[in-house]
Amino acid sequence: MNAVLSIARTTLGEAIRRRVLLVILLIALLLLVIAPGMNGLTARQSQTVLLSLILGVLQLSSAVIAIVLTVYMIPNEVERRTIYTILSKPVLRWQFLLGKYLGAVSALGLMIMLMTGTMIAVFAAFQGPNVETLASLARVAMMYFVQMCLLAAVAIFFSTFVQPVVNFFLSGGVYLVGTVFGSLFATIAESQQLPQAVRVAAQIVMLIVPNFGQYNVQNSVINSGAQIVGEGIYYTNLAVYGVVYISILLLGAMLVFDRREV
Amino acid sequence: MSLAIETIDLVKTYKHRGGASNTVVDNLNLQVESGEIFGFLGPNGAGKTTTIKMLLGIIGQSSGVANVLGREAGDIEIHKRISYLPEKPYYYEYMSGLELVVFYASLFGIRDNDRCKELLRRVNLANDMNRPLSTYSKGMQQRVGLAQSLINNPELLFLDEPTGGLDPIAHIEIRDLILQFREEGKTVFISSHELSDVERICDRVAIINKGQLVAQGRLTDLLAGGRVEVTAEGVSDAVSQSLRHENRTVSFKDGRLILDAPDSDDLNGMIDALRNGGAQVVSIIPRRKRLEDLFIEAVAEDDTAKGRQRGRMTDGNSDGTVSTEVEEVKTGEGESS
Amino acid sequence: MKWTRQGKLVNGPIYGLMLVLLLVGSFVQMNQTYPFWRKNYMPKVTDLGQLTGEQLLFAFAGFREMIAGILWVRADSFFDNGDYDSILPIIRLVTYLDPKQIDVYATGMWHIAYNFTDQENRADRRNIPIAVAFGEEGARNNDYTYELFYETGWLWYHRIQDNFPMAVTWFEQAAERKDILPARHNLLSHAKLRAGDYKGALKTWYELLEEAEKEMERNKSQRSNYAQRDTVEGNLDNLLIRLTQRGYFARENGWYDQGNYDTKPPFDVKFSASVTVTESRVMLVEGTWNVFPVGTRVKMILRDADYPNAGAAGLDWEGGDANNFSAPVGLTYVQDELFVRNRRFRKSIDLSRDPTIYPFVKDKYILEFYYTPRVAPEHIKDKFGYNGEGMTDSNFLNTEIRENQRVIYWKTEVTRDQILRRGEFGMEGVIPVFKTPNYVAPRVRNPEDDLVTPGTRRVEG
Ligand SMILES: Nc1ncnc2c1ncn2[C@@H]1O[C@H](COP(=O)(O)OP(=O)(O)O)[C@@H](O)[C@H]1O
Ligand SMILES: [Mg+2]
Repeated sequence: MNAVLSIARTTLGEAIRRRVLLVILLIALLLLVIAPGMNGLTARQSQTVLLSLILGVLQLSSAVIAIVLTVYMIPNEVERRTIYTILSKPVLRWQFLLGKYLGAVSALGLMIMLMTGTMIAVFAAFQGPNVETLASLARVAMMYFVQMCLLAAVAIFFSTFVQPVVNFFLSGGVYLVGTVFGSLFATIAESQQLPQAVRVAAQIVMLIVPNFGQYNVQNSVINSGAQIVGEGIYYTNLAVYGVVYISILLLGAMLVFDRREV
Repeated sequence: MSLAIETIDLVKTYKHRGGASNTVVDNLNLQVESGEIFGFLGPNGAGKTTTIKMLLGIIGQSSGVANVLGREAGDIEIHKRISYLPEKPYYYEYMSGLELVVFYASLFGIRDNDRCKELLRRVNLANDMNRPLSTYSKGMQQRVGLAQSLINNPELLFLDEPTGGLDPIAHIEIRDLILQFREEGKTVFISSHELSDVERICDRVAIINKGQLVAQGRLTDLLAGGRVEVTAEGVSDAVSQSLRHENRTVSFKDGRLILDAPDSDDLNGMIDALRNGGAQVVSIIPRRKRLEDLFIEAVAEDDTAKGRQRGRMTDGNSDGTVSTEVEEVKTGEGESS
Repeated sequence: MKWTRQGKLVNGPIYGLMLVLLLVGSFVQMNQTYPFWRKNYMPKVTDLGQLTGEQLLFAFAGFREMIAGILWVRADSFFDNGDYDSILPIIRLVTYLDPKQIDVYATGMWHIAYNFTDQENRADRRNIPIAVAFGEEGARNNDYTYELFYETGWLWYHRIQDNFPMAVTWFEQAAERKDILPARHNLLSHAKLRAGDYKGALKTWYELLEEAEKEMERNKSQRSNYAQRDTVEGNLDNLLIRLTQRGYFARENGWYDQGNYDTKPPFDVKFSASVTVTESRVMLVEGTWNVFPVGTRVKMILRDADYPNAGAAGLDWEGGDANNFSAPVGLTYVQDELFVRNRRFRKSIDLSRDPTIYPFVKDKYILEFYYTPRVAPEHIKDKFGYNGEGMTDSNFLNTEIRENQRVIYWKTEVTRDQILRRGEFGMEGVIPVFKTPNYVAPRVRNPEDDLVTPGTRRVEG
């Protein structure tokens, strides 16, 4: 475990110095800060649109960071041969992978925290410090974080067997499918008109592709008013779901990586 | 003496898309004894790095046996007792030398900053250990690499091209460090395509070319067959005549006789003959066979005599262009992962 | 179980573990997270095909609400230009993207239900089920607020005027939401009355009065609280007086027969009607109605005989599909209100200028005349009651097509050739005329009667 944590720490240290990531982060922060200025809409819509915009920026940039952060992680290690030094130490491959993942996730957490802080400050400055809204913004950001951990697991899984550029689109695609088409597949799976085979297929896709969409809970904040009972349990369940799917992906990644020639 | 490394018919074949395959290490039989400095020589692309990776368990062999410290290569237990300095390593640049060594130490569960500093002092980085690695010269990076490779006090060190790309002074520094390892009873496995270093420090060497072992043995044995050059003044014709012999050359320059003879000849007899004949012996210079000669001999022989039949790419069709291309000795870094 | 062998993972147990985890994950998703998410957070996107690629991408990248907002701003200019057709797709798109846009739902359903009219300002009623379905969707997506329940109820109450119990249902749901405005809550009571439930209406007024008084106590400085109390009180007063005069309490107490109530005896309206197809798609509608006070509107409907979900003098207004905003192509449904003056009605209806609204592609049509006092002004209800208690007709009184109501109803069949003046009806001198057997053409025709603008003044007759 020592080794895992050391690798995680090193990965974190490296990640927060990666120039690409810092640039993305900077752009995101900039967007968050100027968001209120882009907002020339009617009064009733202004809060909605502002919230939607800054949460959108947060989510999109988190996703980009999550993918960029992870797709190059393993290939870089191989290219720079640092992986050889590490694997020639008493470090098992799965430990290496786990360490890398944990490092990525901590870097991600740090960056999301930074963006969330900015977002909350911006929102508080423009819409007044409404504690309830600010707290729910933080909650939404938390769920984004779990979502991005899942996305990072997807990306690291693919990174054990595809090239980074391919992986970028692959992970992005899985994210898109898991976010957007999650509800579409659900609709297909439940539709009474469609043939049984199609419904079963949709069901299977739903089960295999992690359901990223579930973590998008921003609707409840953007359109305040709806009273949701049992959110706490829901968040717990989401966390459980996330951990379970992350474990599946990491196990898969470990299996592939274990057998791979590096 | 027990064997630190032993390979038996070790083979590594890379399969390519389309069915072609590439045998990079071909029936390699190595024996490295404990406590010796073993030189693993061969031109670029010969398969040295591949062999080391197999010995470390970073890649698996296609067939054959590789034992390291009495266990199968790749056994995680062995990793506690060995260390590895990859060729042209790149470390996390943002780290300082000390942080890097501390990081590698932590992989062994070692939390001992003093020991890490001590190691850095040992590789002469005492003053630079807190600077980021990105500011290190190549030689310093190599030395920090050596420091990290010593963290677990390994019994066996794998050094892949440790002096590659370094300036002469750095060469000497690294070489001296390696010699110290021998003093400490460590086994050192050095791969290199630069011969001068290896020649000076290795006890035994193996030479491979295109994945095949060309020569292996004690350096003194392999280099056996040196010559002696005797220079004398005032040598009479008779004496010079008597010294002429098969395998010897006798020549005169500026009135001096220069006798070149195999060192297996009776040197005392020759000198006696000169002195008894009234000649003045000016110098006796032993001229040992150099590793370079051996290397070039071995590789050249391999290329001309066996090269063609041992085409390393066997893809079923005997397309001439393919095999020609492959049989070239790679000059660049032939490695890809 | 051994997970590793010589530092390498062993396949079997790992696969097993992955499978178990997959089952656990699926279980959590299917039974816990997904249903909850769908109920509470899912954007109600039902038809992704409506969005273009980049809209999709943006939308699902999280900018959904922003795009919706921008689109809606653009729709404003279309409203200004009167380019109503272009607004529909925007409304649909915006609400797909952001189903929480209450304003867009409200504006949209009003737009669909009210803005599409023919050249003579008759509504294109084929759209109304779409507006209703859209309102239902909006209410479903925003069920935390009364607004869209109220708006949907309003369609039933004001636009459809054919099924007041539905208006009651929706207003009741609106009233359940805490944020309902008192003035809008009042409408529930009006709707109940129109639905024939005068007891329910009374009960609601009493409740509203109590509520208004409480509210007034609570916040004395709020002027609107006084206004609301006064309104409710006035309405309640009026209703009590009317119910008394019209004999409802008497009926309930069993002494209706003895008293002298406004609704006694039932008054014969002497309905008769004639429709002459003067030209292709143009018809002159005339008839009699033996009631002097102004304020009667006789409903006339001309529709496909097989119009989907059609019933007597109306449609199933709930049968719409809000996913598709385009009006049902190829269907014809004409509805007009014939205003009575001087005991007669007479109106020329020209459908020839709106071939898309009135395509007349089917062969058979139904022509209906219908009257119910429920939507009549109070001075007429004084005589006829809420359910037609004080009204009769020797020929066309109908107590079947509407439950618990006495209405006037006549229907006849019409063919396409007759409306278009084709075939045998295309010949010179062959003029299709449909009339009730009792119809007698007036001997003197007052030309001023031809076009009638309904007055708002109450005229005593
Ligand atoms: N992953 C690989 N796939 C295919 N060929 C490889 C791979 N790695 C190395 N090789 C080939 O094996 C040969 C030997 O490489 P290497 O062991 O790095 O040589 P050396 O270290 O002696 O310079 C080279 O020709 C190289 O192209
Ligand atoms: Mg090499």
